[in-house]
Amino acid sequence: MKKVLTTCEFCGCGCNFYLGVENNRVVAVYPCPSHPVSQGKLCIKGWRGHDYIHSPERLKTPLIRQGDKFREASWDESYKLIANKLQQIKEQHGSDSIAVFSSSKCTNEENYLLQKLARAAIGTNNIDQCARLCHSSTVIGLAQTFGSGAMTNSIPEIGNADVIFVIGSNTSEQHPLVANQIIKAVKGGAKLIIADPRQIQLTKIATIHLSHKVGTDVALINGMLNVIITEGLIDKKFISGRTEGFGALREEVAKFTPQKTSRITGVPAEQIIEAARIYATGKSSSIIYAMGITQHTTGVDNVMSCANLAMVTGNVGKESTGVNPLRGQNNVQGACDMGALPNVFPGYQAVANDELRQKFEKAWGVKLPSKPGATVTGAMNKFIDGSIKALYIMGENPMISDPDINHTEKALKKLDFLVVQDIFLTETAKLAHIVLPGVSFAEKDGTFTSTERKVQRVRKAIDPIGESRPDWKIITELSSHLGYKMAYPSPSEVMDEIAKLTPSYAGISYNRLEGGGLSWPCPSPDHPGTPYLHKEKFSRAGGQGKLFAIPYRPPVELPDANYPFTLTTGRVGFHWHTGTMTRKDWALNREIPEGFVEINPQDAAKVGIRNKATVKVSSRRGDISLQAKVVDTIQEGLVFIPFHFAEAAANKLTAANLDPVAEIPEYKVCAVKLERG
Amino acid sequence: MSEMKILDKTKLVEFLEKLMPDFEVTVPSYNNGNLSFSSMAHARPEIDFAGRPLVPPKEYFFPQQEEMFTFATKEGKATIKAHINKDKRVIWGIRPCDLYGIKTLDSVFLSRYVDSYYHARRENTILMGLNCNEPCEAGFCSSMGTGPFATNSNAFDLLFTNLGNQFLVEIGSKAGEELIERRANLFATASDEEKNKSNEIEKQCKQAFLYSVDQDRVKAALTKAWDDPLWAEESKNCILCGGCNFICPTCYCFNIEDIADEHEQNSTRVRYWDSCQLGGYTQMAAENTRKTQAERLRQRIYDKFSYVPARHNGAIGCTGCGRCTEVCPSEINITHILGILGRQK
Amino acid sequence: MTENIYAPHLVTIEKIRNEAEGVKTFTLTFKDPVERESFNYRPGQFGEVTVFGAGEAPISITSSPVNKGYFELSVAGVGKVTQALHLKREGDIIGFRGPYGNGFPFDEVKSNDILFVAGGIGLAPLRSLINQMFSERNKFGKISILYGARYPALLCFRDDISRWAELKNSEVLLTVDTAPDNGWQNNIGVVGSLLPKINMNIENTTAFVCGPPIMIHFIILDLLKLGFKKDRIITTMERRMECGLGKCGHCNIGEKYVCLDGPVFSYQQLEELGENI
Ligand SMILES: Cc1cc2nc3c(=O)[nH]c(=O)nc-3n(C[C@H](O)[C@H](O)[C@H](O)COP(=O)(O)OP(=O)(O)OC[C@H]3O[C@@H](n4cnc5c(N)ncnc54)[C@H](O)[C@@H]3O)c2cc1C
Ligand code: SF4
Ligand code: SF4
Ligand code: SF4
Ligand code: FES
Repeated sequence: MKKVLTTCEFCGCGCNFYLGVENNRVVAVYPCPSHPVSQGKLCIKGWRGHDYIHSPERLKTPLIRQGDKFREASWDESYKLIANKLQQIKEQHGSDSIAVFSSSKCTNEENYLLQKLARAAIGTNNIDQCARLCHSSTVIGLAQTFGSGAMTNSIPEIGNADVIFVIGSNTSEQHPLVANQIIKAVKGGAKLIIADPRQIQLTKIATIHLSHKVGTDVALINGMLNVIITEGLIDKKFISGRTEGFGALREEVAKFTPQKTSRITGVPAEQIIEAARIYATGKSSSIIYAMGITQHTTGVDNVMSCANLAMVTGNVGKESTGVNPLRGQNNVQGACDMGALPNVFPGYQAVANDELRQKFEKAWGVKLPSKPGATVTGAMNKFIDGSIKALYIMGENPMISDPDINHTEKALKKLDFLVVQDIFLTETAKLAHIVLPGVSFAEKDGTFTSTERKVQRVRKAIDPIGESRPDWKIITELSSHLGYKMAYPSPSEVMDEIAKLTPSYAGISYNRLEGGGLSWPCPSPDHPGTPYLHKEKFSRAGGQGKLFAIPYRPPVELPDANYPFTLTTGRVGFHWHTGTMTRKDWALNREIPEGFVEINPQDAAKVGIRNKATVKVSSRRGDISLQAKVVDTIQEGLVFIPFHFAEAAANKLTAANLDPVAEIPEYKVCAVKLERG
Repeated sequence: MSEMKILDKTKLVEFLEKLMPDFEVTVPSYNNGNLSFSSMAHARPEIDFAGRPLVPPKEYFFPQQEEMFTFATKEGKATIKAHINKDKRVIWGIRPCDLYGIKTLDSVFLSRYVDSYYHARRENTILMGLNCNEPCEAGFCSSMGTGPFATNSNAFDLLFTNLGNQFLVEIGSKAGEELIERRANLFATASDEEKNKSNEIEKQCKQAFLYSVDQDRVKAALTKAWDDPLWAEESKNCILCGGCNFICPTCYCFNIEDIADEHEQNSTRVRYWDSCQLGGYTQMAAENTRKTQAERLRQRIYDKFSYVPARHNGAIGCTGCGRCTEVCPSEINITHILGILGRQK
Repeated sequence: MTENIYAPHLVTIEKIRNEAEGVKTFTLTFKDPVERESFNYRPGQFGEVTVFGAGEAPISITSSPVNKGYFELSVAGVGKVTQALHLKREGDIIGFRGPYGNGFPFDEVKSNDILFVAGGIGLAPLRSLINQMFSERNKFGKISILYGARYPALLCFRDDISRWAELKNSEVLLTVDTAPDNGWQNNIGVVGSLLPKINMNIENTTAFVCGPPIMIHFIILDLLKLGFKKDRIITTMERRMECGLGKCGHCNIGEKYVCLDGPVFSYQQLEELGENI
């Protein structure tokens, strides 16, 4: 048996393990004790989640639509067809009538190449990926406050923090190996504050649990800041030496007395005071958040509030502190780093900046567009109004993952031309004109960047299944068919190009990664990488951190007489996103075979629903039927649905209400009604 | 006691290489800083290592996943083909605790109804044990009676003790003896001095253990611990990863799945390592017979310390290897749990 | 070479009967004539059925060992394997290995009065025993059969039931939780509500109870209240099973394996095992 060390393809923890290979099949998993995050531990997805690799449902050849069906086709025919069609649309309607969705499941090299294809070969900045749907508010919020939209500190540091504030993250289920650090810290005496409308598993070991109403995060944090400032628990030296904007912030949060905050959030005033004191008096306090913060119409505000809290108490730029957004996908950090975003080149270098753009024009040998392109969510509307005619999707399934699926379906069906590159015939691929078979992480070389900004190797363990091809190879071949030649012997050379153009990756090469991952910024080949950011100065222009005064805005769609419940959506630990991978494994599927809706016992009684009964949940946009799970770990008036299940797709209910800046949808709040199904 | 031999340390690789034409020779080796069993065809044996690979050698008899049958159905006919693996294998460097683990698996798979898959692999494998010169970090084998030195009740064909420049080699079976006889020129007869040296190492190693577990007290406590709050308390952080079962040298549970090919005419029956810590393990159409994590943790501990010994003539359910603690993302610690039980009145 | 204990034998589906809503009864014969002749079992034993491409499921043998040359399984289509089985047609080939488990006591309860209490498809294993007892009718005392289902369409083995009711010194009472139509002449209520309606010499009666876990639970309580001794209450346990042979670990109750040491247990044994039932 061959054992190939690689990086997990599921969450942003970035665990490493070995894949055991026999006869070109992955038949075993071996944990990796020497890895600083996984330490020989894995969650069940790491242990068991890889059976999809050999699923008989894997796409094995390109498919071309013929009426209602697909026929198998050769690569050459498919490339020619795609190239012709895209060229034709480009000539008739201009480059910006084509959009490209990249993938946070694919490697850095693939994301780099795909944004290069969009910008250099097609000539559009219409490139985005699912980070829009999970952490676009982080990228923007932390860039404005700190200057860098990523986790400030590394995962192992969390284990040494003496206060941990978890807000909007069900860490045990979504980032199990971050939860491991929290558990270790608490066992070592750290205090744990949890703010979550549900009793997540970690509340069992929490010092205090703030059960705030969904969408009231800004108010809650402003309330905590109010206490911290009133009681003089601020870090004056840090505020005056390293930040700007404190005056306006102080003025804004003065309005948020504990009593007022309590009225907005539903959290007792004493708890707000206690949490504020615990957080502010910790020697090293670390904030951990995830989609409970970001997926709101106030997503950017929520993120900036977390940054305020950290800066006012001096908890940033030091070990075991900081503001730590847990990125969901294995490589969502990398996809953003690689410029699979409509406004920036790799390394967050703005497309609108002439100097930076010229650097890329010189390197890539073409003129590049300067106007920022359409986001994933913005593009949907442009499909509908006809200003975007063609879409190329690599490894995403918006038919399940995007808000308001009925709208998404309508939008995708309006397209003249849809190409989907995936490993399965997903709900989205079924709508495509041409489907190209990519490969799983086990069939290619590359790198993923984990949530702690750590670039790590993915190594090819088996040959591609059927006639499928590595995604990086597909992009280069297609680009060449489009008349823009891309030729790289292997992903290693792609990384060399990335390093040349991206200051924060400048010191990264495959050679160096053999010795383990490197956390960016890694500006030179002898730089050891950066476990925590903003040590002496912030990476923001001018070097100061910026405090923002943030007024509280309630969520857009609140419950009313017709739709009396608030729906919040999320994930479970046993499944991944749209379930295309995890629902193929017996162990994961045996744990949670179908969708469910969590309801508080009081509400269940009111509506007349028993545990395990079928419930119909409807919103203004659609309805689904699924099993009731009556649990007392959720607030009254709130229901929770995981979004993995195509047949009970939570996103038929959610609304495409967007954060005005980040255009992230408010997945965490919409109004629904419940009926016996 | 059987005859003891001496093998110069420099000759170990030669000895193992000589076996390679007839056997797949499997040895502990380092890969990116991690010890694991690997085929000598593409790995260098690690001779002076401490500790043990995180995944125990049980997978050579009971793999993580194993094809049991392929079925073909066509035009009203069905054919069944069983896949029994009879590869000849030598595993060198198995620690005493893991030798015991194999013995426990023997009692499960070879008792009453003989499991042909396990049986064939076991029959065709030569076990070469290696005693421990120092305890592993989280291990407590000495109190479980499975290590750090193997005794005749561990399963081995040959047993090696690292004396510094040489290995003392104890013969445990006819098959082991034959392997040595055919390469007799590499071996010398052991002197009393060398045997004494081995005893000395054993004594020192036993004194160095950080953890000990009072097995008898644990067993006694279990007769009264069914409703103890400890199960809920200790299991509260469990995230149901299954790791503690997967890497346990004595865990034998499996799940059987049929995987149909695209056209559903052929299918493969595969068995996989399973885990009693998972909720679905006991899920039935009408109900789940173990609903809480507390019940599942209780099952794991009772199985190791009560059920396995009761069912299999006192077989050892836990070897004290400490792996389940090391692999647990939720920091659930078996020595801690056994400590609580051991202190109960 | 030892026999491969996991290898299914090929069996032909000779006949399929719609037994009740969602339940079909399959008459099966081994393809191998030797196997067909030698196959023997006790009522209460079960086997692992393979539907090729779908998987295996443990199913009780519902025919009586008195019938030679074929055997019967009654299966509710609840999931992957059982629903795939429901799609099979007469003449199709499936796999079977067994018999497994201990089976019901038979000789041990001769001369006793016998009480059967069954719910839904729980009558399947009992049917095997009932028919065997009737084939040696004079060796047993009075035989009472109480059988219930949620509603009439879920009652299995209607033919057997009418036959049993005809036999001497026997009594069959039926009940349903709800009867939507007016055609229902019998009792309405849970199976336990039939208990007061029969005359029993409890001292000399052995009770066999089979059905959904919740039903078993309440019937046992009722029987204890009536004065049944713990070792005279016999039931079957259902657990998730994979191997049926005491290897895979899934089905344990305490130190016993339901597949090897069960599925038939007396209430007394169950109580000693500890784990909640
Ligand atoms: C000793 C014994 C005798 C049985 N006799 C009969 C019988 O005579 N007739 C009959 O219809 N059913 C019987 N059953 C139940 C039957 O085995 C299950 O309904 C069947 O295994 C479900 O398999 P599936 O693949 O169709 O369902 P799946 O798709 O696997 O699952 C459907 C549901 O059944 C549960 N389940 C899965 N496997 C098992 C299993 N091995 N045991 C119990 N529940 C399971 C699942 O958790 C799920 O809730 C018996 C079970 C046992 C243990
Ligand atoms: S914690 Fe995340 S990275 Fe680690 S094994 Fe699980 S899914 Fe993979
Ligand atoms: S229970 Fe834990 S310590 Fe005991 S043998 Fe298994 S893995 Fe080792
Ligand atoms: S290793 Fe730990 S978290 Fe995983 S199943 Fe076992 S006890 Fe639970
Ligand atoms: S079914 Fe496998 S042990 Fe009982």
